[in-house]
Amino acid sequence: MDKNVLLEVRGVSKSFGAVRVLHEVSFDVNRGEVLGILGPNGAGKTTLFNMISGDLKVSGGEIHLAGRALRGEPPFRRCKMGIGRTYQIPRPYSGMTTFENLLVAAAFGGGRSEKESYAFCAAVLRECELADKANRQAGALTLLDRKRLELARALASDPKLLLLDEIAGGLTDDESKALVGLVRRIRDRGVTIVWIEHVLHALLAVADRLMVLNFGERIAEGPPAEVIALPEVQRVYMGIEA
Amino acid sequence: MTAISDAATAIPAPAVTVRRQTNSGRIAMTLAIVALVAVAVMPWWASTGTIRMILELCCYIAVAQMWNLLAGYAGLVSVGQQAFMGAAGYALFVLAQTFGINPFLAVLLSLIVPAVLAVPLYFLLHRLDGPYFSIGTWVVAEVFRLVASNLPLVNSGAGMSLRVMSQYSAFERNVAMSLLCAFMLLVTLGGSYWLLRSRFGLALIAMRDNPVAAASQGVDVSRLRFLVYVAAAVGCGLAGAVYFMAQLRINPPSAFDPMWANVAIFIVMIGGIGSIEGVLIGSLIFFIADRWFGEYGATYFVVLGLMTLLVALYARTGIWGLLSRRFDAPWFPFRRFLVDPNR
Repeated sequence: MDKNVLLEVRGVSKSFGAVRVLHEVSFDVNRGEVLGILGPNGAGKTTLFNMISGDLKVSGGEIHLAGRALRGEPPFRRCKMGIGRTYQIPRPYSGMTTFENLLVAAAFGGGRSEKESYAFCAAVLRECELADKANRQAGALTLLDRKRLELARALASDPKLLLLDEIAGGLTDDESKALVGLVRRIRDRGVTIVWIEHVLHALLAVADRLMVLNFGERIAEGPPAEVIALPEVQRVYMGIEA
Repeated sequence: MTAISDAATAIPAPAVTVRRQTNSGRIAMTLAIVALVAVAVMPWWASTGTIRMILELCCYIAVAQMWNLLAGYAGLVSVGQQAFMGAAGYALFVLAQTFGINPFLAVLLSLIVPAVLAVPLYFLLHRLDGPYFSIGTWVVAEVFRLVASNLPLVNSGAGMSLRVMSQYSAFERNVAMSLLCAFMLLVTLGGSYWLLRSRFGLALIAMRDNPVAAASQGVDVSRLRFLVYVAAAVGCGLAGAVYFMAQLRINPPSAFDPMWANVAIFIVMIGGIGSIEGVLIGSLIFFIADRWFGEYGATYFVVLGLMTLLVALYARTGIWGLLSRRFDAPWFPFRRFLVDPNR
């Protein structure tokens, strides 16, 4: 297989009983690339992430990370293999501080010793603008900070592949610019990113490629400008009749 | 390691430190050591009756803390920990009385039984979710009771006596019981505290707060739950062995008494789930209530039940939760406070 491909998704399907959520979706993500995923609500985007991270089992198809089949690998091992993810609805460890939230990811996902994790997590917190909330109880953070915490915690596990699930929703223009800058810096260090996002301008500012899902099927994929211009995408995603 | 770590280490080494101890923690630790030593030397300051009472309190603390680990951190709501108390109790009686092993050595050896039993039981029970798991643990304890009632090795329903203890003087027995109590507190409370402060404490609390996120951050949640289950079985086994050694008698209804599960749940709910402080507070409340109001029988249990219900409905974090919201003074601090001069 192509050495340049980090994530390979082959004919992946998911059904919950009679409800088909994803149908034979295939795509590759190259190392160092940012792939943006677009699609209306219920298109199966988060389900796709859940199957890559191992939170859900695939009903059919195969997923490979750096040539290794992920089938049967539990989520914790996928994290150690280099898959980091954020949750659309933040899932902080609410009884722990922001800093301790990151320590979990660094010490277990990243496989660092606790002492090594301290300086590393402090650096990640500074980078994600959470340094002044390091010792704040995560359960008491605002929604915006919880989203930042999701990203910071995923980074603390030292991922090769970072799955971002709608982290820009509800941000002001300035905040979303800062977020785009942060995602770029992460990408520039060689982290491969798959980003599900409804905030189109944020996604277009970083994505190398776009993929569009609708009703569990891939309806378009390619360079962002081309994909956005496709009549079908305009109709499905933006509600514009072409 | 990926580029992120390289970038992080490329930043000129920031002198980041982490503060862990607090003044309240230092005071509490000193008091805890004093209390532990006081328990260990009970025969020199307490009467046999007092020693028996404190031994009972120590057993409550140990069993409640084990239940706290199970339910408060691993999300495993067991109502059948008495299975392991009884199993270890019986193991002690068989080893000491039937096989003539030194009873004090037999206490430690008897812990192998709950450990060995917990492994296959967990693989049976862990498939059950939430309330089904709870019912499963209760059924297991009942099965243990029925097996003991029909097993000639343990004298079936008639039970056993620990007659070998009569070879020791009352003072010698008191010394042994006191040392065992101190050891039990050290293992169950001290061990839990050490665990919570360690690297695995991070995983335990993460698992408590959000098991799905913990798994996606590299925590092996199922293995951790298994280890907590086995550890809690051994901890309850130790409490059982010590308790029945002091009783000198064991029979199936007392060995597998579901009362222990009720007591543990009451203590942890009232005191505050997910904290060691809560276990200590809850144990003291139960101990005092049991001394003062035990004679009222059924009415007393109705009141205890109502208290648990009210706490479950209106103060889910228990007494310690209410206290710690008002005063930031943990007795057993395990927090990691980041002191970052670069921010």
